[in-house]
Formats: sequence, structure tokens, C-alpha cells
Amino acid sequence: RLRLVVHSRVTPRAPRTPHTARVVLVVLVVCALAEMSNVIKNVPNLAGMRYRIVDASGEVLGRLASRVARALQGKDKPTYAPGAGSGDVIVVVNAADVALTGKKMTDKKYYRHTGYVGGLVERSARDMFERDPTWVFRKAVERMLPRNVHARETMRKLRVFPGREHTFDETKLVRMQLEPRVLVKAPDTRAPEGMMAFNPEAHARRVALVEKSEAARKTLGHRPRA
Amino acid sequence: MTVREKIFAAAKGMRGRAKNCIKIARNRVEKSWQYQYRDRRNKKRDWRRLWITRINAATREHGVKYNEFINGLGRENVCVDRKILAELAVNEPHSFKALVDRVKHMRGL
Repeated sequence: RLRLVVHSRVTPRAPRTPHTARVVLVVLVVCALAEMSNVIKNVPNLAGMRYRIVDASGEVLGRLASRVARALQGKDKPTYAPGAGSGDVIVVVNAADVALTGKKMTDKKYYRHTGYVGGLVERSARDMFERDPTWVFRKAVERMLPRNVHARETMRKLRVFPGREHTFDETKLVRMQLEPRVLVKAPDTRAPEGMMAFNPEAHARRVALVEKSEAARKTLGHRPRA
Repeated sequence: MTVREKIFAAAKGMRGRAKNCIKIARNRVEKSWQYQYRDRRNKKRDWRRLWITRINAATREHGVKYNEFINGLGRENVCVDRKILAELAVNEPHSFKALVDRVKHMRGL
């Protein structure tokens, strides 16, 4: 006698009891609250550390992440000491509006392998933004920190919020100074009092380059501006 | 003091049998001596790295990078070493700023 046996690939789940549903709901709510709290936990020493806030909207992802990773480690302080203790707490807002240049929204891929054969998961930056708007920025910072024992504690000092709202005390937050992105920094051509240039001709050229006036362009031999 | 006593004295604080059993302690203590030899030389490098990181942070507060700063100091024949510069950056900020200003102005010349 033939019997038709149906194998289902997914084992049927047990029906959710009311108790399980309540437990799941409580866990979800607690997770959401923990995400939205302003308490930094399990971090070596927060005494004397600043709480700095930075607005990510319009900033280029990697350049901002690099700056933030540096600040998280405490490397922008002359009192830096290796270890997870010297960095400030950084609060990032508007992380969903962080900018990616070029076609990276579709072309930048994040790869993972699940361990199973054929299990290479490839997701674009746009996918990750949809799944969790803060993930892209946090991953960028995580990958810029040294892979050592302190990496996890350092990442706990970073709080990323997708929008403008954050849960920290506004009065205690210090705005983080970001250097304006200048492609070519003009050298400081002022001489201190009583000092002369080492090489007057070279100095004249440098001053002319910085001033970019018509007379200066003539001394440099550049074409006159149309 | 016997040789064995000396080895156990050096093995204080080690984990597990390495502090109590001579055969294992001897191996670990000899290894620790090798590490000490190597690290006496590494210590000098590690401190210099730390001073450089601190000087970098301090000069960037004034808008100058470490490499520009050191280059400027060299050009002006300022022979203050990195250990003292790092100390100045933390404890004598005005003196440090004077050095950074000097470099900032002279680099453009």
C-alpha cells in the first residue's frame, strides 16, 4: 500500500500560549527601553569623561566614523593611555541621514557567511539602512577600532540614534568639533615679529599662491583668469 | 638559596601548576626571562609610541599635525625630545602652545 508522506522543511511551531506572548512582549519592550536609555553600562571608568554629541546628517560616512572612532578611544586627548578608559561618550544623532558618495547606496555590499554551504549573504547599504538605520554607522565605527580586548567596551560608549531625538541630558552634552573638510590647507605665511623668511623668493611664491590675486598670478606665471 | 627555591620565587603569581611544580615552573620562568629580555628593549619603543600619540593629540588641538610639528621643530633646531614634549603637552600647555605657534608660523616661511 502506498502512503504519501509529506515532509515539511519547516517544523511546525508550537502554538503561542498567552503566557509566552506576554513574556515576548515584555522582552521586546525592555529591549526597546534599554536601547533608548541614557545609561552607559559595563564600561571601565566614566568619571571625568565628556558626553559629546555629533550630528551625522550630511556627513560622509567613513570620514565621520574615523573621527568618532578616534574620539571613542581617547586619542584626541593629550592624556591618552591605552585601554578602554580614556575615551569620551559619543552620541550620534541623525544617523539615518549619513551620506554615502557615489553609487554606494546600491553598490556598497556587506557580506556575511552563515556557515552553511552556499550561505553567503550579500546585502547592499540601502538594505541595511532599511533594516536598521543606525547599523551602517555603527558597523563603520566598529571596523575602525582596533580588534582587541577593549573593542566591546569602547563600542558601548557609542550611542547612535537614527533621528534627531536622543535620550541624553541636553545640558551635559558637548558639541563635537568636526574639522571643516578642506582639500588643500593654505599654509600660514605670517612671520612672527622680528623673524625673516628663510628663503625670500620661495616665501614670495607661497604668499602668491595663497593670495591668488592678479598680481600674484603674474609673478607665478599662471594664465590670467578668463 | 637553592636553584629550585630561586625558580619558585620567580614563579610567584603564575597560573596553575606553573607556580608549584618544578618541571613546569622551570619552563615558565625561563620563558618569562626571555620575555623580560625582549621587553626591556620593547619598553623603549612602547613609551615612544605613547609619547607620539599624546603629542599628536595635543598638536591637533592647535591645528597642526604631529608630522608637521616634528618637521618644524627639526627645521628650527629645537632639540626637545618627545618625552618632554608629551610632558609639556599635559602639564605645561602654554609652553607647548608656544612651541606649536612657532612651528605654525615658521612652516609658512
